[in-house]
Amino acid sequence: MTSQDNPLGKIYILPKAIKTVVKDAVLQSYGVIGLAPGNLRQSFVKMFDYDGDYGIVVESDERGLQLTVNLIVEYGLRIKSVTDSVAESVKYHVEKTMGVPVTRVNVHVRGMRISDVD
Amino acid sequence: MKPFSTNLPSEAERHKLLKSPITGEGLILLFEAGLIWLTTNQEYVDALNVFPVPDGDTGTNMVLTMQAAFDEADSHRTKHAGDMAKAFAHGALMGARGNSGVILSQIWRGFSRALDGYATVDPALLTKAIASARDTAYRGVVRPVEGTILTVIKDMSIAAEGAIKTQSTLSEMLVILVEAADISVKNTPELLPQLKDAGVVDSGGMGLFYIFEGMLRMLQGLPLDTATNNNVVSLAQFDLTHALEQVEEGQDYEVVIDFEPHKHFILEKYYEGLNNLGVSIQVGEGDGIYRMHIHTELEKRFEPIEYTETQGIIKKIYMENLQDQMNNRKEAELKFNTVNPGEIAVVAVSPGPGLSRIFASLGVAAVVEGGQTMNPSVKDLVAAFENLPTDKVIILPNNKNIILAAQNASKVSVKKVGIIPTRNTPQGFASMFRLMPDGDFDDVVESMTEAISEVHTAELTTATRTAEIEGVKVKKGEVIVLYDGKLILSKSSIEEAFDALYNHIDMDEFERVTLFYGEGVNQSSANIMADKTRAEYEDLEVEVHEGGQPHYQYIVAFE
Repeated sequence: MTSQDNPLGKIYILPKAIKTVVKDAVLQSYGVIGLAPGNLRQSFVKMFDYDGDYGIVVESDERGLQLTVNLIVEYGLRIKSVTDSVAESVKYHVEKTMGVPVTRVNVHVRGMRISDVD
Repeated sequence: MKPFSTNLPSEAERHKLLKSPITGEGLILLFEAGLIWLTTNQEYVDALNVFPVPDGDTGTNMVLTMQAAFDEADSHRTKHAGDMAKAFAHGALMGARGNSGVILSQIWRGFSRALDGYATVDPALLTKAIASARDTAYRGVVRPVEGTILTVIKDMSIAAEGAIKTQSTLSEMLVILVEAADISVKNTPELLPQLKDAGVVDSGGMGLFYIFEGMLRMLQGLPLDTATNNNVVSLAQFDLTHALEQVEEGQDYEVVIDFEPHKHFILEKYYEGLNNLGVSIQVGEGDGIYRMHIHTELEKRFEPIEYTETQGIIKKIYMENLQDQMNNRKEAELKFNTVNPGEIAVVAVSPGPGLSRIFASLGVAAVVEGGQTMNPSVKDLVAAFENLPTDKVIILPNNKNIILAAQNASKVSVKKVGIIPTRNTPQGFASMFRLMPDGDFDDVVESMTEAISEVHTAELTTATRTAEIEGVKVKKGEVIVLYDGKLILSKSSIEEAFDALYNHIDMDEFERVTLFYGEGVNQSSANIMADKTRAEYEDLEVEVHEGGQPHYQYIVAFE
């Protein structure tokens, strides 16, 4: 959970909210086909949670947020360019909408989709 | 980057190569034309960027991607159009840079797939290829954002499919494609609000337009090396980086005004009027709107607005404090020594921007901000040198509280790390003079460590509490002087502190005194102190530098 002070009290931003922003940023990034479960627990979540936010891990410390996204990428793209874009886009969107610094974005490519064969 | 081949074939030969249906040789000529024309207009595309993410320089990224594609195609020249396109697409994939580059590589991938197996390209195949490019490009993203390069390739494909029955030559088809791209690009602000807010069109779409326009210009025999953009010159296109370097007295503010001129408006007269108001005048024009750019004095900064009001209807005004911008730039402009693999790189901890600049000029490879009250972490230190292309690193902690962090950094890193136990910045400077980047590591460390004893340092700061330390009585708010780290005296003013300091030490021992003035001390008072020192000790060389360090009004080096 991320908290900030305002003159009237505290603002809490729950990981779930952050994940929504991250998901949106990721899915708008070019070359990303979808999110992938990052671990076994998330694989279970995926089975029951249709519109879920599996594939995204949010951690925080006093310096800001550390985000991890697990992706499926379109086959035939330069992966480094795609993952660089994803990391930058996630950082930009989260910082813009949440006002919380993002200190790390880990991008894990979990798989590739071959939509057609060259 | 390899320059594209400047020896394009002669006009007659070009005519032969580009005769419809074209072969692989004609196709690569078209690709090259697209690349050249995009490069010609690269700055304009770069200037259209709105987002700080994720594609910093769309134009540059697209050019680099096209260049990589062309290089690959160039090394596999063939008469077979399908094979040519395949090589081009492969090069684009391998060289894709940035978001727009990746999408562009997908466009060429789809394009080449449609051409697979065909030795020549006719308008029908071109239409199919553009449609295939669109499909492949869209397949790469879950939620396509409209108003981008994707929209442009889609609109081009729709136009081509609509025109295929009536257009019989490649050149006619390219006219259709370029027109469609033009309309689509101009429409992007309607689809993407961020573009509309910034008053620009999509940069990636614009880049794609230039690539196809370049192909068309090649077919039409038009020149490819001079930009023809007559639209309103975008702000970033004014050569501001260059202008900034020249900011002098009388150029405090930058004013940019967009306006729609009255009917009797005469540009020459307008220029004349502006000449009295400031310098660096530029006026751009397009679609009936003029954009004026000028640098003025602080007091005159509203006059261009009043003057322009008499000439037309003002649409928009931008104003920026250049002096302030300059100061920011100064800080950002640190140029560090580039390290060659295998050489010794030095990382210095520096408490102030001025001191960082001096370190940079002495050849350090990186600076970590930090000092008395803001010790950098082990992580900060490691991060500063971990990515340098060498495994031999020397750290200058420049503060006794940071030496420990530096030692820990050396344990964490896999690189060979030496620490020169410098306790203040002048010691750091002195040891930098002994750096030999290609020398033997242990010898260099030893030599740099020796250099520490060659310099003595006085630090002047304000006492934060009343105390008696090592026999010196200190009252809160007084100026205290530390000499080589030891508190030696406390006085009520800076001047008295300097006098007492000079009396305390044997000034005859030294040849040179350097004053680094800190944050909150202005240059003129530092110069006054230096002049006093010069007057008193005529044999001494006295230098003054901006240090910019917090808390310490002065750091003084005696050599």
